[in-house]
Amino acid sequence: MKIDRRLIFNFDWMLVLFVALIVCIGVLNLYSAGHGISGEPYLKQIRWVLLGLFVMVLTFAFDYRWIARYAYVVHALAIVLLIAVFAVGAVTKGSQRWINLGGFSMQPSEIVKITLILALAKYFNDHRVEGKYGIRELVAPFLIVLVPFVLVLRQPDLGTALMLMILFGSVVLFVGIRWRALLGLAAVGLLLIPLGWNFLAEYQKERVLTFIDPERDPLGAGYHIIQSIIAVGSGGIFGKGFMKGTQSQLKFLPEQQTDFVFSVFAEEWGFMGALLVLVLMLSLILWGLKIAQHSRDYLGTLIAYGVTMMVFWGVFINVAMVLGILPVVGIPLPFFSYGGSSMLKMMVAMGLLMNVSMRRYVLQS
Amino acid sequence: MLEKPDKLVRYDPGMYRDRFTFFFWVILVAVCLLVLRLWYLQIIKGEDLLKRSENNRIRIREVKAMRGIIVDSRGVVLVENRPSFDVVIFPEDVKDLKGLVEKLEALYTKVNLTFPMDYETILENRRPFTPLRVDRNVSREKLALIETHSLELPGVGIDVMPVREYYYGEIMAHVIGYIGEVSRDDLERDKAQKSGDLIGKFGLEKALDSFIRGKAGGEQVEVNVIGKKVKTLGRVEPSQGYRVVLSLDAQVQKAAWTALEGKAGAVVALDPRDGSILALVSRPGFDPNLFNRGISTDLWEKLSSNPLHPMENRAIAGQYPPGSTYKLIVAAAALEEGIITPETAFNCPGHFEMGTRTFRCWRKQGHGRVSLHRAIVESCDVYFYNVGKLLGVDRLAQYAQAFGLGTRTGVALVGERRGLIPTREWKLTRFGVPWQPGETISLSIGQGYNTVTPLQLANAYAAAANNGEYFTPRIVKRVETDDGEIIEEYRPEKKAVLPVSQENIQLLKKALWGVVNEAGGTGGQARVAGRDVAGKTGTAQVIGMAEGDDGSAYPYEYRDHALFVSFAPRDNPEIVVAVVAEHAGHGGSAAAPVARKVLEAYFAGKPKP
Repeated sequence: MKIDRRLIFNFDWMLVLFVALIVCIGVLNLYSAGHGISGEPYLKQIRWVLLGLFVMVLTFAFDYRWIARYAYVVHALAIVLLIAVFAVGAVTKGSQRWINLGGFSMQPSEIVKITLILALAKYFNDHRVEGKYGIRELVAPFLIVLVPFVLVLRQPDLGTALMLMILFGSVVLFVGIRWRALLGLAAVGLLLIPLGWNFLAEYQKERVLTFIDPERDPLGAGYHIIQSIIAVGSGGIFGKGFMKGTQSQLKFLPEQQTDFVFSVFAEEWGFMGALLVLVLMLSLILWGLKIAQHSRDYLGTLIAYGVTMMVFWGVFINVAMVLGILPVVGIPLPFFSYGGSSMLKMMVAMGLLMNVSMRRYVLQS
Repeated sequence: MLEKPDKLVRYDPGMYRDRFTFFFWVILVAVCLLVLRLWYLQIIKGEDLLKRSENNRIRIREVKAMRGIIVDSRGVVLVENRPSFDVVIFPEDVKDLKGLVEKLEALYTKVNLTFPMDYETILENRRPFTPLRVDRNVSREKLALIETHSLELPGVGIDVMPVREYYYGEIMAHVIGYIGEVSRDDLERDKAQKSGDLIGKFGLEKALDSFIRGKAGGEQVEVNVIGKKVKTLGRVEPSQGYRVVLSLDAQVQKAAWTALEGKAGAVVALDPRDGSILALVSRPGFDPNLFNRGISTDLWEKLSSNPLHPMENRAIAGQYPPGSTYKLIVAAAALEEGIITPETAFNCPGHFEMGTRTFRCWRKQGHGRVSLHRAIVESCDVYFYNVGKLLGVDRLAQYAQAFGLGTRTGVALVGERRGLIPTREWKLTRFGVPWQPGETISLSIGQGYNTVTPLQLANAYAAAANNGEYFTPRIVKRVETDDGEIIEEYRPEKKAVLPVSQENIQLLKKALWGVVNEAGGTGGQARVAGRDVAGKTGTAQVIGMAEGDDGSAYPYEYRDHALFVSFAPRDNPEIVVAVVAEHAGHGGSAAAPVARKVLEAYFAGKPKP
């Protein structure tokens, strides 16, 4: 196959720059956050970044339209993996999320976020309507999200399950939904909350209640939130300096290399550092929106938009949780939190963005 | 070629400009919200929070759960908790560790004690937010010493560890077991455990640990500059371990223990109607209270080198030749197989010839012509030699297995042994030598390769006592909460029914009654007035002895084992008692009185029929 020169010409260097900056800061921060923890998480994270780069290249090497053809198949495979988790998955902290694939373990619930975006993009690209979507047209795409949603909820992983619904909602809002349908769905959603409540595991109920009243769980979430707020606040304007965060180095912070990794950063680099990271994240997200807006076709728009929203919600929910304005739900911070599945997922997402971006001028023969 | 030309080749994203604008603003507002919150925390509250972080006084402290108590079937408390105190260091409250250790050492020296740890060890074992135990199980005096100097010892605290108080000490040691500090292996297997936790190590403490352990709670506390709690910010109560109700009867257990005084051996008492174990004694014993906080090397050395193996639970792990107690099974097999009738009689001249070998009866002058009833009552060996010869080893083994011998009873205790019921095939595979006819002769009076545990023996007699039906022995009745809500119930489990007719069972029970109550019976010493005791004596040879030798001249380990198995009352048996007294001589004189005392304790206060 001859590589189209325009592909190289249109390579999105800005996107690469944003990702590179964010990943570097993330690894640097992990060096500090994981200091003294066995296995030096930052070293493992670098390995995941390198593997991620490879996967990213792989993702943009093939035209996204070709990839989208297999969207349903890939999504179905991801669902099979989610089911497999129940059969052979490992239990950590009371929930079954991991599956072991000869030597390394992965979280199918991370993969399913990507396949969901692809499947929804394909669906709405193939089924366009005049004007906006009504309830009846949304039943099929809703099933696309409902199956993995229920499976992830059963693991139980409340954060990821909600993330799937939020992604679905974001896409539906974008493709257009009739007001009546939106109100109807909202009403049904409200009615389903009490039902869903019974569906939650005891500890998940606790978490939601803890958000409303942190005193409920003084040894867990209540403590996490307090220590995280102390860490972030004590950073002040310029922070305590790299590797000098007392909260993090003395291990007051819970989950400080995964969910609460941003507290470590905010403590050590202060308002200026945290602002820089948020601005970088915002730039990446807005750049992603721009890619979506200037895509060659509707499918590209939907894919780019979907992954951009995934980054946005990841950043927003995680940082809001760390800053104590959202409940502790266990959503990792994109590019920052330690973890292979999450890093690979983000790199695939970036590969998709690049894919759409560099083919924006390529017209088909 | 990629795909068919899209209908919207001239795709105009401008169509969606409004939507992009909408999401652009959503995202911008959301990020601004985060920045505002950051501003509030880091710039407005920054000073405050900086102080709080420099002086972070919020801690999570674990609150230990109490282990569940254990009671007997009448509700008598067998095990409870008492506090034990540890001196701990909270690493996050120590500014100058070296100085602190020096101060502690000085303090200990002042009262002529040695501080049991040094600076290097402490430094090495220090983990963030884990109280480090530097001195365990300290005396009240040391406790007071630390408390009075607490102002000079920042970061040093006292941690209360609930440990066990075993009220019945060695009497129940083998059944209840003991606890100890969690080992490294346990820690790896069970992530819920923390280093320093106390867990069950032996007996029921171990077998039921997950029920007894409970769940630790914790406190979020604010501490002052020396690490002392000033305020509780939140607390999660620990959940107490569950209460365990045993089938054991402390009174009977105690009587059995006392009755076996001065002997090594085991006593098992159980209820034949449902398999409930009423007493399970193994002598010699050990004091489980010594294990609470780790046993000293000296004591351990002493326990493990004792030739009588006090740690072994003989009631389930001791394997003894059953001696004449086996005759019940031989008789049942022969009756069922039609080899004998109750009237079949053999002549006993005091010995039995088989090829070139001579087998003796325990009674030198012989019993004359005896049929089954008298043969059991007087325990005539020659009668059973004749029966065994006709029956053969394999048919006998079949019946022994039907009585539950040769396999574990399945009692919920760790360390149960199987015993051994030999067959022709077994001998060929085990030794590569065919079975010798003479071996069957020994076997028919319970000598030879066959061994049983006291529990198996009790259960085999329970089968006969209960008219053929018998149960898996159970020692735990139920596990419940403090309020009596049942968590786990262990119901009687029917194990099997003997392949013996009711007619034959009644016949045999009558003969066993005769052993204790008829003139010439070997078990007269087990008689309890008004209770209709039935039973069978057994004297198991350890080595062959010359004719008429009572063994008293031999060294201890060569003397005969004394056995006695009994049940009462004959017609509606409520209790079976099996006694094995190692190297104690004759079953009738050394074991039967032990059984009598146990029966007396059981029937004490019960109205006579």
